[in-house]
Amino acid sequence: MSTVASPALAAKAGAPAAAGVPPLKVEHVAKSFDADGRVVPVIGDLSLTLNEGEIVAIVGPSGCGKTTLLNTLCGLIAPDSGRVSWFGEAMSGQPAGVGYMLQKDLLLPWRTALRNVMLGLEIRGVPASEAEERSHVMLDKLGLHGFADHYPTTLSGGMRQRVALARTLVNEPDVLLLDEPFAALDFQTKLLIESDTAKLVRESRRSVLLITHDIEEAVSIADRVIVLSKRPTRVKAVYDIALGTERTDMIAARESAGFVDYVRRIWSDLDVTRN
Amino acid sequence: MNGSPPPPRAGAPAGVDAAAHAAAEDAASMRLAAHRRSRLRASLLVLASQIALLAAFIAFWEYMTAFDKQAAFMFGSPSAIGGFLLTMARDGSLWRDTYVTGVETLLGFLVGNVIGTLVGLSLWYSRFVSRVIEPFVIALGSIPIIALAPIIIIWFGTGLTSKIAMSTLSVVIVALVTSYKGAVGVDDDQINLMRTLGASKFQIFRKLVVPASLSDIFAGFRLTVGFALIGAIVGEFMSSSEGLGHAIFKAGSLYIIPKVFAALVATIALALVLTFIVGKVEKLLMPWRRLG
Repeated sequence: MSTVASPALAAKAGAPAAAGVPPLKVEHVAKSFDADGRVVPVIGDLSLTLNEGEIVAIVGPSGCGKTTLLNTLCGLIAPDSGRVSWFGEAMSGQPAGVGYMLQKDLLLPWRTALRNVMLGLEIRGVPASEAEERSHVMLDKLGLHGFADHYPTTLSGGMRQRVALARTLVNEPDVLLLDEPFAALDFQTKLLIESDTAKLVRESRRSVLLITHDIEEAVSIADRVIVLSKRPTRVKAVYDIALGTERTDMIAARESAGFVDYVRRIWSDLDVTRN
Repeated sequence: MNGSPPPPRAGAPAGVDAAAHAAAEDAASMRLAAHRRSRLRASLLVLASQIALLAAFIAFWEYMTAFDKQAAFMFGSPSAIGGFLLTMARDGSLWRDTYVTGVETLLGFLVGNVIGTLVGLSLWYSRFVSRVIEPFVIALGSIPIIALAPIIIIWFGTGLTSKIAMSTLSVVIVALVTSYKGAVGVDDDQINLMRTLGASKFQIFRKLVVPASLSDIFAGFRLTVGFALIGAIVGEFMSSSEGLGHAIFKAGSLYIIPKVFAALVATIALALVLTFIVGKVEKLLMPWRRLG
């Protein structure tokens, strides 16, 4: 597993850490839960690195502790052992500059699309006029021009997920943690949103850690795919994805020569057997 | 093209397109109109059935008491009730009693809900405090309010204040429990999202917990309209010189059954009006609920 960041990757303006320091480094993290007096190990021994400007996808069998991993990275739960460092610093509390998006859009029903997008800026005390302006721009970028004043209940699932994406991106996070954000969408909507996400993220050189069940999604969008084992989770295999196409067009990516091969190999790694 | 009609040949395909589009839109709006009409028909049918049911009940009541003096004395008759309503309206007692009970109910409702909701919501802040006071809340909630009436009269006198206190007491625990349930029922993922956006506990409370609890709070409001009215009426039963409860109690003691029913009709009307107002306010404060 190569973790050497090229100098070009680290040269992004306003990068919070010294050149070459990956935004996220996970070293030998382990986590168990106590279920009725029994200790259930969820994460065995997990190490991974997310380099700057990189999209890394994590796939694993159902119930392999992906959400536990994500919550650990977010600082919502503490690992039993091991180290999580954001931008070269050991984690303390909630990491700054990290955006978070789930399968559930979690839009607030009493806020319009625009005011949902404004939520993070509002919390950080950005002046209302600036927050509104930036949120409008982000909604436009995601093809939601004219829907700013709609309440979430009047939007389709795909549009709601776009609003959720806008809410995450408007805060300009250095790193995005995505937990199956597109899993509930129909196929066409999914491809379109994946393409838009890839475009916006690669344009601004943000780093993305995408947790997903969907092998095809992982291969088409990510620079690297990390395959996790069953519980207790560890890294089973790592694939550097080279498709030789523009990596912002999910349809082109799926049609490229190597695509099917990667999907097959990862599928066999996952060791999915009936029952 | 500045308003001049397009040349026929070049414009023809576009015109056909536009016409087809317009036709499709017309069809869609006609379907929508038809759907609305059938929905309207269904709700009119419900309303008509309700009126018919009520009319049948009143006619049956009138018929059963028309030729039977004893039954008319025991059960009153719709015509006698109507007569009493008219007399009470003419001499002004109907309006005064309804007004007095209305004010008591409204104030009890407001004070009880404000206190109950504030306490219920703020219990979200501390799991520890809410666990400590939970058994006390349950104990207080299980006291029949009528059992408190004598003490309330001693503490607050026989005037308006004691009725408002009774009404408040019937409301406050329900308001507390419903708003607390709303506050702790907020989706954990939503709270985590707020935390990852950097929200403080107060920001989570103000921007998430309070608005998310609104539908439970309003469910409590609709429930407590009735409780507030019960509190006020029970207070009036114990000791009073005016109000619908007073009218019911007095007429009952004098065996004037139709007058009891007349005051009861006014009480029901009052409850309906207050419930209607709560519903209106709910729609006004939660515009997103009308959609979807």
